[in-house]
Amino acid sequence: MNRIAATFSVGILVVLAMAFKQDKKPVTVWMIGDSTICPYEPSRAPITGWGMPFAGFFTKEVKFENRAKGGRSTRTFISEERWRPIADSIAAGDYVLIQFGHNDEAKEEKYKDRYTAVPDYIVNLTKFITETRAKGGEPVLITPVSRMKFDKAGNALETHEDYSNAVYETGKHLQVPVIDLDKGSRTLFGQLGPAQTKMLFMQIEPGVNPIYPEGHKDNTHFNELGARRMAEIVLHEMQLQHIKLADFVYKPKPAK
Amino acid sequence: MSKKHIKVSAAFVLLILFAFRQPVKKIRIYLIGDSTIAIKQTTAYPETGWGMPFVNFFDKDVQIENRAQNGRSTKTFVAENRWQPVVDSLHTGDYVFIQFGHNDEVPTKASYTPINDYRNYLIKFVSETRSKGGNPVLITPVSRRKFDALGKALDTHIEYAAMVRTVASEQKVPLLDLDQKSIALLQKLGVEDSKMLFNQLQPGEHPNYPEGKIDDTHFNELGAREMAQLVLKEIRTLNLDLVNHIVKPVVKK
Repeated sequence: MNRIAATFSVGILVVLAMAFKQDKKPVTVWMIGDSTICPYEPSRAPITGWGMPFAGFFTKEVKFENRAKGGRSTRTFISEERWRPIADSIAAGDYVLIQFGHNDEAKEEKYKDRYTAVPDYIVNLTKFITETRAKGGEPVLITPVSRMKFDKAGNALETHEDYSNAVYETGKHLQVPVIDLDKGSRTLFGQLGPAQTKMLFMQIEPGVNPIYPEGHKDNTHFNELGARRMAEIVLHEMQLQHIKLADFVYKPKPAK
Repeated sequence: MSKKHIKVSAAFVLLILFAFRQPVKKIRIYLIGDSTIAIKQTTAYPETGWGMPFVNFFDKDVQIENRAQNGRSTKTFVAENRWQPVVDSLHTGDYVFIQFGHNDEVPTKASYTPINDYRNYLIKFVSETRSKGGNPVLITPVSRRKFDALGKALDTHIEYAAMVRTVASEQKVPLLDLDQKSIALLQKLGVEDSKMLFNQLQPGEHPNYPEGKIDDTHFNELGAREMAQLVLKEIRTLNLDLVNHIVKPVVKK
């Protein structure tokens, strides 16, 4: 065999070997939920869903599909055909992070389109879980992140009681990991106290930010700092519960 | 000529007109300075330079060119040939925002720039910007977080901030006194709440800083945005032409 032929054969072998190399499939994390997780355009900055900084914690091996959408309850997320395309695309080993509640629990007349009574809320969560599992995916339930509400003594108050309990019970019943973000966020608010907690929310004085010229007072939606702090809570809970996804967190090289 | 032909011809003429239409010239704002302005790598998050959120404050006619670099002083910014490319690309009507000091003022750093050299570099930036028809804007170095025992926010760049003011006054350059404005903000927040603006992290809190971080110089996301808001407020106070290009809020449906 002449040299050219030998080189050529080696080349073919290398190409074949590469083709059969274990293809490390990237894990996809599907995020479903409401305005507290969803992505926002820079034209609305600094409002930030916690899914945005959360994605930044991971290596490139993890792909994020943040499909959360403002104003959606479990019911409208399904009825608007937002869930079906996700269920169809889930691959084995993917994660589905589920956090609803803010709009499910809205009882005011103007929100009746999104309101979901607790028993229906449980049915919808169960649907997300079973259909995720049917595709070999890993569901993770997350209790709805707390709103900012303090009593006069400065204690952070529970703002989603019924719906957080429903998430917790559903998780227990179906043996799905539950990240108690409701409790975690409330604990943080309690530690920070009212003044510093306010610095996590979309609270803007009039005349300082051109995107919100009249100012903004919002005890539900987070700014860039609040979203990141919430994302940190979710990540810690995942690490404590040894959810495998946390293995893909970026690790900095040790300092010299 | 048939109707169809007329239509096609009209479309063709329109197309030609479009091709020759004067394109809307963008106003560029070049940001030159140090880590307090610079764009961060994702692995350094949540550290944030104020130039990052600053881009959200302007309309589509403005393009922000954030050329600030971590660790640079006026001297090293020039020596590393970071300034000349800015000069070369300047067009009439562009802006150059100049904020240095943090790395100039530290005698133990290789970037140390004695106060008179600092002055000369600032003058160089100003005059070379003007020679290209650009608008220089001088910015005093944003404050570090430092309080005395009584909770008074301290001036952390006394000598270098003063020199920026002097050069601005002598050269008749618009001055954004970010040093003073940021000290006032830190004072308003006080010792504890002001920590919320800096890259201060508990051990284990953020994957990028497993050992935690105590940093009274570099901002987090919120601090960077607050500083950018202060800069914007000064732009309005000085009534720079840029005020006509501040972004309008998206109308909520």
